[in-house]
Amino acid sequence: MFFVTYLRRELRRRMRQSVFIMLGLALGVGLVVTVMAVSSGMQQAQGNVLQGLYGIGTDLTVTKSPPPFKADDNNGFRITMTPSGAEVCDNGKCSSGAQTIDNLNGLSYGPLPYSTIAEVAKLGKVQAVGGGLVLTDQQMVVPASVATGGALPTSTSFYVDGVDFTHSTLGPYTDGKVTSGRSFAAGDASANVAVVDSNYASAHSLKLGATVTVAKTPFTVIGQVTQPQGSQPPDVYIPLARAQALATSQGKKLTGEVNSIYVTAVSAADIPTVQAEIGRLLPSATVTSPSSLANEVTGSLANTARLTSSLGRWLAVLVLLTAFAVASLLTIAAVTRRVREFGTLKALGWRSRRVIAQVMGESAVIGIVGGLLGVGVGFAGSAVIKAVAPKLSATVVTATGQHLTSATPSGSTSYDPTITRTVPITMSAPVTLDAILLAVVLAVIGALLAGSIGSWRIAQLRPADALARVA
Amino acid sequence: MYELTQVTRNYQKGRRTVSAVRDLSLTVDDGEWLAVQGRTGHGKSTLLHLLGGLDRPSSGSIDFDGRDLSGLKETQLTRVRCESFGYVFQTFNLVPTLSAAENVEAALVPMGIRGPERRRRVGAALESVGLADRMRHVPTELSGGQQQRVAIARAIVKEPKVLLADEPTGNLDEETRDDIVNLLEKLWLERGLTMILITHDSSVAKRAQRVGVMKNGNLSILRDSRRAERRRPEQRKAVAPEGEPEPAS
Repeated sequence: MFFVTYLRRELRRRMRQSVFIMLGLALGVGLVVTVMAVSSGMQQAQGNVLQGLYGIGTDLTVTKSPPPFKADDNNGFRITMTPSGAEVCDNGKCSSGAQTIDNLNGLSYGPLPYSTIAEVAKLGKVQAVGGGLVLTDQQMVVPASVATGGALPTSTSFYVDGVDFTHSTLGPYTDGKVTSGRSFAAGDASANVAVVDSNYASAHSLKLGATVTVAKTPFTVIGQVTQPQGSQPPDVYIPLARAQALATSQGKKLTGEVNSIYVTAVSAADIPTVQAEIGRLLPSATVTSPSSLANEVTGSLANTARLTSSLGRWLAVLVLLTAFAVASLLTIAAVTRRVREFGTLKALGWRSRRVIAQVMGESAVIGIVGGLLGVGVGFAGSAVIKAVAPKLSATVVTATGQHLTSATPSGSTSYDPTITRTVPITMSAPVTLDAILLAVVLAVIGALLAGSIGSWRIAQLRPADALARVA
Repeated sequence: MYELTQVTRNYQKGRRTVSAVRDLSLTVDDGEWLAVQGRTGHGKSTLLHLLGGLDRPSSGSIDFDGRDLSGLKETQLTRVRCESFGYVFQTFNLVPTLSAAENVEAALVPMGIRGPERRRRVGAALESVGLADRMRHVPTELSGGQQQRVAIARAIVKEPKVLLADEPTGNLDEETRDDIVNLLEKLWLERGLTMILITHDSSVAKRAQRVGVMKNGNLSILRDSRRAERRRPEQRKAVAPEGEPEPAS
């Protein structure tokens, strides 16, 4: 076929220039692929962190804000330390002197009746619903008194998750894999048994049969679970009924309550509908979607994700535009050099359309090869990032629901302690099929853009002018 | 075949209008060989471009086989170029990446002729110019004379009515020039072509039936021997003496 023969010969003649354009396009699209790969890796890492918090398959999380803490009322838990002594007030009941505190709090979220789960399950487009208690066990040794300017006692805490294992397969616990011992059984619903996260177990030397104290109550460790790398799971899982019995929220027991409801929609497209319906059913609740969950993750992971989406994206766009511009300039230069040739072809009776098709064909081949090379550059970039990228961390900060007040000669200072959990993340940059397709499409578009600029010149070219220029 | 009536072709050079062809009227008969001489810049190539549908006149009409070329749409003009005209250029204008056969084939591509027939006609055309054994050679592997032969094969392969040659021997040595002119004359005689040839070379122009001179955009006929019977090339050595120029007709 003449078209193919002519195309092949021309590309071979302009091999160096063609390769230069291909490499330019490859660099541009390769960078786009790399940035997309890093971005994909960031999303994956964020997803892992959030899955640890909310469990696999959860599309929406329903929570309720706790009532605001008021320093002058008798509700909630308050520790006041002065040089004359310490006072701990729990739901208006105060006690003085040195003491050990071990509270299981659910004050990060407000309580929701357990029956709410059934109400949400009745909504349209809802596939599954589960509930649980997201709690923090906080332990503190309160001294008899604190000298003026002295350091406040620090608390130790760990995450506790009340698991409704008899009714639901949603929630943070479902994300884990039992690596030692056993999981919860139906008969454990009211037992003081716990499954601990393997990282927490190893940090605190908790073996099977060991005891972990939650709200001053000993729980026997029956199993260990391992959560996916990069996730941010609870430390200790206990049966929901036991959590409800032991936990408090602003001084009130959480019997018959949950504070997190996990919802799966029938399809991803139904998530907004379900979110709106839950909002109507529970006007005072907060319905969190996957996109808003991502905002809860901070730390170097979030910073890198932001860097990737801002600097990386613009850098890729800049390189891509430069590649397009260079390809266009080189194509125009090539067309200008071939004016005599195109003028002759027009004199032979070639229509402008046919000459343009020839140039566009050459550009398309350059684009396709450039795109494929770009995919290679993208894979190489991804591999380099995996090899040299520093370890990242994801940080999730949650409130403990406590309020500490310290009296000083100049007045009192108070703060609401929070728990910061940092999870190490191994950075990955997977090249997706979407990225590969986009790379090839971008390169072809770039090359065709360059070709069309050259073609415009050909269309404008009158054969007499072209031949006169030769003479 | 051709009837040019008061054809003018103006160009803008800055604010100045330059007339490359000025109010030119000319008739060219079917099967005629017209040679046009003249100094550089006096409108020879412009006239050839107008005759070949590569350019349009600023005013006047160019009637070719009953159609006014100046009034045709670009696609119609392209079609006429494709079917009726064969061009030979001074610098050969071969596509450097294509072989001799492919260069000749390029002229048949827009005609929609199928592959086997195309190849047959390409072979015949190259054979008629004596290059049957150089079909696979690219232009850089051919001498100047051979390249011009390929260009001539490209011009005649589509069996045009008119062969337009712009200084076809301008880049060739004397011996090769004679070969090429002999070849053109042979093809003209054998195929009944109408041939319009631009040349600086009087010895080439002498071989034509009619010789004109372009000066300041006007064509004057120096010699007209159209009434003479067509003879074989070797018999066409006797040339009528050049007389006083007379207006083109």
